[in-house]
Amino acid sequence: MALEQLCDVVQRCQAIKDEGFSPEDYDLFFTAGRTCIEQGNSAQVLSILVDETNKNIVRCMGWNLLGPIVQILLKKEDRNLHHCHAILTHLLEVCSPKELLVGLLEQMEEADTGSITETVNLLLKPLQTVLLRMGMKKASSVGMALSTLLSQVARLPVPVTKEEEEEDACGLCHCCTALLQFVKPFVEEIKEGVKDNNRISKDNELRVELLKFCMKSLSNPLLEVQLKDPDTLLKSPLRDFATEILIILSSIGESLPDLLSRNVLKRREVPGFLEEEVRYPKESLACLSHLLFVDHIAVDIFPAVLSPIFVLQCNMEYTDLLLSRTEESRLQKGLALYEKSLIRVEDNSLPVDLLELKTFFSVPQNLVKVMTLCPDQTLRTKSLKVFQLSIDKFNTEAKYKFFKGMLKTSHHAGVEGYIIKNIKNQIDFSLKPCNGNDWFLGKHLLPLLRLVLCFPHGPETDLLQNLDRIMESLNLLRYLLIRDKEWENETGIWTELYKIEDSYLKPLRTGLNMSKAHYEAELKSVKENKKISSKDTKASVCTVTVDNEKLPNMTPEMQIQVLQSAVFTFDLIESVLTRIEEIIETKERPLS
Amino acid sequence: MRGTSNKREILGTRLCMSGEMSSLEDIFSTNQCPADVFASQGIDVTPNGDRGVCKIVKQHGVEGEKPMIGDRVCVHYTGRLLNGKKFDSSLDRKEPFVFNVGKGQVIKAWDIVICSMQKGEVCLMLCKPEYAYSSAGSPPKVPPNATLVFEIELLSFRGEELTEDGGVVRRIKVKGEGYYNPNEGATVHAHLEGWCGGRLFDSRDVSFVVGESEDVDVPLGVDRAMEKIQKGECCLLYLNPKYGYGKEGKKEYDIGSNAELLYEVTLKDFEKAKESWEMDLKEKLEHAVLVKQKGTQYFKAGRYNFAVIQYQRIVNWLEMECGAGKEQQQAIQALLLVAHLNLALCFLRLREYSQTVENCNKVMELDPVNEKALYRRGEARLLRNEFSMALMDFKQVLQVNSFNRAARSQIAICQRKIREHHERDKKIYANMFQRFAEHDAKVGRLKRKKEESGISDQNKQGLKRPCLSQDGS
Repeated sequence: MALEQLCDVVQRCQAIKDEGFSPEDYDLFFTAGRTCIEQGNSAQVLSILVDETNKNIVRCMGWNLLGPIVQILLKKEDRNLHHCHAILTHLLEVCSPKELLVGLLEQMEEADTGSITETVNLLLKPLQTVLLRMGMKKASSVGMALSTLLSQVARLPVPVTKEEEEEDACGLCHCCTALLQFVKPFVEEIKEGVKDNNRISKDNELRVELLKFCMKSLSNPLLEVQLKDPDTLLKSPLRDFATEILIILSSIGESLPDLLSRNVLKRREVPGFLEEEVRYPKESLACLSHLLFVDHIAVDIFPAVLSPIFVLQCNMEYTDLLLSRTEESRLQKGLALYEKSLIRVEDNSLPVDLLELKTFFSVPQNLVKVMTLCPDQTLRTKSLKVFQLSIDKFNTEAKYKFFKGMLKTSHHAGVEGYIIKNIKNQIDFSLKPCNGNDWFLGKHLLPLLRLVLCFPHGPETDLLQNLDRIMESLNLLRYLLIRDKEWENETGIWTELYKIEDSYLKPLRTGLNMSKAHYEAELKSVKENKKISSKDTKASVCTVTVDNEKLPNMTPEMQIQVLQSAVFTFDLIESVLTRIEEIIETKERPLS
Repeated sequence: MRGTSNKREILGTRLCMSGEMSSLEDIFSTNQCPADVFASQGIDVTPNGDRGVCKIVKQHGVEGEKPMIGDRVCVHYTGRLLNGKKFDSSLDRKEPFVFNVGKGQVIKAWDIVICSMQKGEVCLMLCKPEYAYSSAGSPPKVPPNATLVFEIELLSFRGEELTEDGGVVRRIKVKGEGYYNPNEGATVHAHLEGWCGGRLFDSRDVSFVVGESEDVDVPLGVDRAMEKIQKGECCLLYLNPKYGYGKEGKKEYDIGSNAELLYEVTLKDFEKAKESWEMDLKEKLEHAVLVKQKGTQYFKAGRYNFAVIQYQRIVNWLEMECGAGKEQQQAIQALLLVAHLNLALCFLRLREYSQTVENCNKVMELDPVNEKALYRRGEARLLRNEFSMALMDFKQVLQVNSFNRAARSQIAICQRKIREHHERDKKIYANMFQRFAEHDAKVGRLKRKKEESGISDQNKQGLKRPCLSQDGS
């Protein structure tokens, strides 16, 4: 039935000259052709299509049959698969490349997650053939094809473990390898031109399309992928893909060091150069940098003469970007990149000028956010480790300035406490023979100490919330009073002491007494209440809600526990404070 | 530019030319320790004379031509460890290495040695770890505390382009300090010397606000360069006419039309303006109003490039702000709308039509029926020869305001242009079809000849055809 229809329309069309086929002809050809193919008559369809007399008809309408053919080929059920393959091959030879391209990309786009790999497998070669047939005018079509392919491939789940990558159940590895084969001839074409004394201009369309492809591959899937090193996984398709993308970039005339430093050496933009962010997305460059410095990919094509500080400066841009995100994969990459960039630098070598760069301000801010807010314990620990590493790399003056900045901006008692501990270590280091310096001794130290030993909210300060900071400050003060003898006064602490007593120790003492009294009274009343209410059994003291969700009521026992631990904390603070007061008293006695 | 093939020859001839020690390979093939070779033959090029960087010139370059700080230099090199192991080579990559010299982008030894080289020079260099990767090494290639040996050829160098279009080129005479540069709105104090064709036309100490150098008769290029200059730096700036005094020239200085200028700038000091991220919204809004006035002042004076800088600042400040409350929101939107509208007009005057279209589109995101934006986009498109799109814009202007006479006459112009265009097309295609017809006729004749000679082929196909139609029935 359908076959007759197809023959009819073909016969009728044979008589039409100059390809003046009507829309009805197209419709009929398509529906009849599709039905034939679906009903398993592909052999007959094939014989009609290859008939020389029908060449014009096939050239104009044939591409319509791509859809049905591809569907059959994907299902792989038909007995006449080889006929369908032959039809596809024939269409690819005869029809206009432009229409074929549209047809093939349509099929590519329609693939759902489950069939992406199959579709890529089936259509990549045909797509390549069609594009190569286009000759010199293919650039935008290549771009369109690459963008469609990548968007589809990027939908595939990324293998996480070594086993998953080896198994490649969802086919990402396979698709990436296939993509490389696909772009090869186009890369070769540009490569020839680049080698040939830069015959290819920066704006050559095909070159730009390949650049876009590489950039897009870097941001997705590669930024999502955690590459395995060769020791873990000897043959890794994803690592090969990453390596090849970097090689392509370099062979189409994009110098990798220039890409790395793009954001640091940015030239003044002039009107008319809107494309910067489009051509070189920062996220892709961040991935490139991670591949180079963390995964050590493509080391052979990257010059080994760049200065470590310059590399750090470039990577700060990318670290900042990665750490400003909340996805754990990004944070992990940001931390690793920062760590590796810092390791390359010698201890105590980063000059203070660097802190003038915006990224040296924003990266620590982001790092603090990870340290304090990230839900993942390992990332929090790691970020603290990297934070300390970054401190170690600054020279003395830079450390000083960095501490000062952090105390002013971090607004987190834990972080402040950590910084104060670092200050103490620096002072300790400086007091040792031959380590003397201007920053952690004498006149520069005092302004820093004033930032540490202060109590902006006076006796009303919440001691529990500020515990970390207060304890570290007191430890520092106690250390200074014991370590730096009054007659030496290298740190200047003894001349400053009367001020510290007034502005810090006394208000702290008052606050401490107030808080202690308050909590002890509270504890007492709860205990009494408990005695009374234990007779009434049920008694909730207070309710706590988090995120509109009511937490279970606090029982009196729990409340007593909390109050008790607060009182212990105050005792802890008091013990150090008392010790300091004693030291001061013994020193003052001979004077009085 | 990239004399790769040239390089081969140079290396080749050099091997025959020089006497005892020709290349890295030779040094490592003899049993001598490379350090000893450099100790006996090398010149110490370190500023403090600690012999941390020693070089042996293997081939002299062009006398007197040495790179200046910041120059974009192009080199070929091979680097080896003391044991002879090659860890890096641009020759293997078949691509010269390009970087800005003297700015800490490369290991210290390189910044020192390249500045000592002449164009075309080939040298061997030995550098101690302090001048290379010190105790940290460079994983995975260079181990900690490694002394490195390089062979370097300086292929070429040129000044650093400070703008994307290459209109401002800088060469640094004295390096400045820090990583701190003036920003848009910063106040700079500098000494300037302006030269035109070898004639000094301007020499003075001057202070101005970056983005407003016009107020003190300092050309755009110097203004635009400021963001890249460090405190204490002394540099030469080569300005093309667009960044100099342009088409009009400058009468006071006796500078004619389209003159290229050379400035020597010493940045003595500056006070930075607040960066966008250091300001809160209220500050931004207050500043934006002032900046808008400044922009309008420049626009009225015909200084469109400077007007663009001012309006662009408003966009940079406010683009990403959303504002709390309706009042603030409206204030932001109003300022952004005016900024884009004025930018569109400036770019129209500067003949940057795609920028005009871009800014009009931004206006229409805020106000889809903005009459001025539609009209300006129409103008830009008309000037870009996109007649039918321009026509649509002007028609839309009339829909918004049917009394807009200017739009009416623009429509007439568009229609005329479209007609003219059609006529021209017709002429071209008429000829083309005629030519095609002739061509086809010729091909047809040839084909027929061929067919006559290849009958047997045709017969085979003839047999196939009935067969197929049987299948089909």
